[in-house]
Amino acid sequence: MFTTGFKFFFGIGVALVTAAVLYGYTTGGNWVGPISWGWKEGVGEHIGYGVLMFLGLAAMGIACTLIFFRDADPADQADYVGVEDIEPTMPVTGSFWPVIGAFGAGTMAVGLVLNTAIFITGLVIVSLVAVEWMMDAWADRATGDPEANRALRNRIMAPIEIPALGGAIIAVGVLASSRILLNASKLGAVVIAGVVAVIILAIGAMAANSIEFKINRNLISGLAVVLGVAILGGGVWATVEGEREFHEHEVHGSDSHEGDESHEGEDTDGEHDGEAEE
Amino acid sequence: MTMTDSPPATDTAPAVSSPAVAGLYDALTTTDHRRIGRLWLRTGLVGLLGAVVIGVLLGIESTDAASTDVFGGDNAYFQMWALYRIGLALLVAAPLFIGLAMVVVPMQVGSTNIAFPRAALGAAWGFMIGAGIMVVSVLAAGGWGATDRATGDERDAVALTLVGMGLVIISILLASMCIATTVISLRVKGMTLMHAPLFAWSMLVTAAVWLLTLPVLLANLVIAYVDLHNGPGTFGGGLNGSVDIYHQIAWLVEQPQVYAFAIPALGVLGSVVPVAAGVRAARHAVSLGLIGLFGLLAIGAWSQPFFQNDGAIPHDEQFLFIAFGLAAVLPVLGAMGGAGDTMAKGKDAIVGLPAAHLMGALGGGLLLLAGVAAGAVRVIEPLELGGSADAVEGIGTLAVSGVGNLVLFGAITAAVGGFWFWASKIGGHELSPMMGRLAIADLLLGGVLLGGAQVVSGFFDTVNDPRFVPTAEAADALAWISTAGAVLVALGALGVVAAIAGAVRRGPAGGDDPWGGQTLEWSTVDGVFTEPPALVTSEAPLLDRTELEPEVDSTEGEES
Repeated sequence: MFTTGFKFFFGIGVALVTAAVLYGYTTGGNWVGPISWGWKEGVGEHIGYGVLMFLGLAAMGIACTLIFFRDADPADQADYVGVEDIEPTMPVTGSFWPVIGAFGAGTMAVGLVLNTAIFITGLVIVSLVAVEWMMDAWADRATGDPEANRALRNRIMAPIEIPALGGAIIAVGVLASSRILLNASKLGAVVIAGVVAVIILAIGAMAANSIEFKINRNLISGLAVVLGVAILGGGVWATVEGEREFHEHEVHGSDSHEGDESHEGEDTDGEHDGEAEE
Repeated sequence: MTMTDSPPATDTAPAVSSPAVAGLYDALTTTDHRRIGRLWLRTGLVGLLGAVVIGVLLGIESTDAASTDVFGGDNAYFQMWALYRIGLALLVAAPLFIGLAMVVVPMQVGSTNIAFPRAALGAAWGFMIGAGIMVVSVLAAGGWGATDRATGDERDAVALTLVGMGLVIISILLASMCIATTVISLRVKGMTLMHAPLFAWSMLVTAAVWLLTLPVLLANLVIAYVDLHNGPGTFGGGLNGSVDIYHQIAWLVEQPQVYAFAIPALGVLGSVVPVAAGVRAARHAVSLGLIGLFGLLAIGAWSQPFFQNDGAIPHDEQFLFIAFGLAAVLPVLGAMGGAGDTMAKGKDAIVGLPAAHLMGALGGGLLLLAGVAAGAVRVIEPLELGGSADAVEGIGTLAVSGVGNLVLFGAITAAVGGFWFWASKIGGHELSPMMGRLAIADLLLGGVLLGGAQVVSGFFDTVNDPRFVPTAEAADALAWISTAGAVLVALGALGVVAAIAGAVRRGPAGGDDPWGGQTLEWSTVDGVFTEPPALVTSEAPLLDRTELEPEVDSTEGEES
């Protein structure tokens, strides 16, 4: 009649509620206070009383859930749905999302203390993980065939994931590149931009002709990863180092030039550029 | 060994195996409960090594606190002391038992995997990240908020300690949810909760106690964080004058809550002893009840002296606190009595040196018993070990720490015993028995010296805060004994790690059922239910065939 799980949790619940009332009486509560949740008169030491009472009620809630589901006993579940045996649980496919979610949570934790931008970054990561995780969980149970489930999931998510990932890579690449170019000297920036463009062109050409010329795809992937890491690492380094020094030009003329002047200037080499040049 | 027990009767059913995975990619993405469990176990072992090193350094400073300065100032000394105490519970005992449970519990209940395996993996990584933030921030002058840490960058470090600890707790709660759900809803057909193996049951009880109480700690941390952020005293706690955040959350590592980290030790005891003795566990239902009762008495979130109003009845004189302290001895004593009874029935099977896993289980149980007994002594108000009548009101004497250390080292010793017992299921290895005996003996003796000396030191009014230098001469001698204990514990921890490293280097060995186990995990091959995935048909799956079919069993015993 009463299941083991119900007995355990209900027992704990009753014991804790009783303990709460006892605690209330023995720490200065009045007669009515501890049994009326403080509605009439005091409950004694209210922190301990409150914690005990709510933990007791929570345990009773769990107990009621357990007896409703008969401790999730497989035989009872099978009887309930009218089958001989409950199907064994489906294997769950591996996923990066738990790890990414954990890092997102860690980023949020650090950002909460140090920097709002870091916190928001973490929040975005955790939100993305939540969506992806839900989709994976749904797809795992969509059909009985793991391959079909994977195909179904990809058909829904790939049109969103691929453009989003591509956009993110481009955004990060552009941002990191801009930091590098702003940090480098004027001539250096031109050289870097040229070299990176040539490498990107070379990688693209290799990828496009990889089959015809039998170029190892791992080599292409490796080059792309090295370039990506170099741009990202350089961007982070350049952000920490800061931009090169810009000298503002003296302004002669109308106010309409002020906006340009704040962005255009002359670098440390003393070379001039921009419309405000004297 | 003589085999008198056998796994429960089962029917065949389609095999469902966990995916075989290898490599870094799979370590990051795996949903296999054994791999996830190993992540937790490795984290716990790293935590253990870190904790024992800090323990030795703390011991060295405590022997002559007035003139020795290992950590560079009183405040750093206090923060490392707090890290040691909190770390032993949250970063060592908890992950070790969660790791064991992730590996063993699904197999024990006949499931092919843990419930919510992705959440379990996320919890493992979240735990590692949170623990990293917590430890690094303490080393970066953070910690649990001594008064001179309240300004500038150090305030950020204190806040990072709080959020790191919060992440650790959330991860533990997530892992608890996975374990509890596995025991409740993934049991094989025929296995009611009443027939659940004792370790699985103990983890269900532990998970329930953690799920009920650790959110209260999370609330404590939020209060401390808001106080830290918005200025002292928003909620009346943290960094206001002479009070540290540590004392707001100290209930976690003091009785009764500290017992919550040792509940699985009773499960290990109940799983190991019958197998070592080669007989059926005596009075299974009583054992379930005792573990459940210990779980109830380990609920300590209500005991928060920090928030008590001035003029209220002192914490140590409250009826409920005393009742919980005294009653907690009973279930542990009962479990030890049950283990003794089981061993007496199977005394013929235990010859020569005891196996390492038996030493670990019994030693852990004895340390735990010593801890709860010391806890019972500590609540006897006239002894004033709680210190409510002392000059430093509310903090108590060193006996408070001593109780915590006895209990936590009992838990750790039992977990190490579990390592040796379930080694073939964790990684397919066989751990060196001799190394195990030595390491466990070190842990046991070290735990007794470390915790016991602190309990005795409490009688000499040594304050439970390292910033107060003890005045009694006896306290100095006891500090030396305690330090010797810390060194022994460190040697034990090193022995455990060395034995595991040696076993990993030697490669898989030991077979799937080296001890003649009685529960379902021993019917797996390489940790996987091949055939059958254990549909239990026996009405009492923990019963051995000795009772059900005596003639069959006697034959099996002869054969083996």
